Amino acid sequence: MTGFGRAASCAAAVLTCLATGDAHAHAASQALGDFYGGLLHPLTDVVHLLPFIALGLLAGQRGSQVNSLLLIFPGALMAGAALALLIPPLPGLELLNIASALLFGALVAAAAPLPAAALYALATFFGLTHGLANRTAIDAFVRPLLFIPGLGLAGLLVLAWGGQIVEYLIARRTPWMQIAVRVAGSWIAAIALLVLGFSARTLLAG
Amino acid sequence: MSRRNPAGQLRIDPALFAVLLFAPALAFAHVDQGEIGGGFLSGMAHPVLGLDHVVAMVAVGLWGAQLGSPAIWVLPVTFPLVMAFGGLLGLLGVPIPAVEIGIALSAIVLGAMVALAARPPLWVAGLLVGLFAIFHGHAHGAELPEAANAIAYSVGFVIATGLLHAVGILIGVANRWRRGAQGLRVGGGAIAASGVYFLVAHLA
Repeated sequence: MTGFGRAASCAAAVLTCLATGDAHAHAASQALGDFYGGLLHPLTDVVHLLPFIALGLLAGQRGSQVNSLLLIFPGALMAGAALALLIPPLPGLELLNIASALLFGALVAAAAPLPAAALYALATFFGLTHGLANRTAIDAFVRPLLFIPGLGLAGLLVLAWGGQIVEYLIARRTPWMQIAVRVAGSWIAAIALLVLGFSARTLLAG
Repeated sequence: MSRRNPAGQLRIDPALFAVLLFAPALAFAHVDQGEIGGGFLSGMAHPVLGLDHVVAMVAVGLWGAQLGSPAIWVLPVTFPLVMAFGGLLGLLGVPIPAVEIGIALSAIVLGAMVALAARPPLWVAGLLVGLFAIFHGHAHGAELPEAANAIAYSVGFVIATGLLHAVGILIGVANRWRRGAQGLRVGGGAIAASGVYFLVAHLA
């Protein structure tokens, strides 16, 4: 297992422990549903999924140099979701989240040698905005203590899988693989740019 | 997979058979249901159904294959981004003059580059392709249906465009052989000729 993979399994273990502690506090069968709700929410929405994947590709390009991303990003996601319960809804989060896909995708396409600290700062900021955007999914019937760890696990899984796959492919030393990863980043950025255009058209029309 | 048993009869793997049994039902359950599927399909279909777009995208792939590394990957990485930028302009309603003429010209110029096996510096090739990409993206952005699901449409649209490049690059593999290289140049000539047709059809 590579360094990145080992860090991923440690982080997954921590998150799973967090969640089961909460699950036992409630009627088991119903309470678990909210954990899965948190886990599924970002995975079923392309606006969340695309930037997660792009960040995973970015992490994989850097390999074990950016291991801490695996704790920082899910942590920021959960902190954002928790923060959303305390403050009134913020406008423009959706646009910011699409913009994160554009930014991460473009960084993957450029294969930019970003300093690890800058990458961590970006992951923290956009982790918070994605977490905050989950406010709409946590209604009165959803238990946040289950939903939020589920959300963190979703972020971690996409990051860890994406990173692992990319790290594995690049380690094959086939030039084509690095290019394929960059093309994937460029596609994600292009999709995000078009979605931004759609949003702007809706804003202009309405 | 199907394979032959010792007796020489064709045998179908039961697992594959079971999967195939389910496949048509799955397909029918999703096609045309909801705006996400519809948006994705119309996004996929849009670049593929316009022949003027198809030949230009394939020409980009062919030219990239002729130019070899690094152009073969610089062009497919930059093109979707620049095209999405053009799409953004189209969606915002920013006017670009003579978009249809630009698209016809793109087939003529890119086809001619393939036919001549032209080898300009990388930045010239990038600039040329990028310029035409804006025209293509703008046309798509401006023609977009109001009703389509934005995200599903964009995903389908970018995938279809990228796959058209891949088709061009795969055809371009033939460039390794002498006859293949000649064939590519003939194909480039055909693309340029179709561009002339699009131009005349538009102006007429």
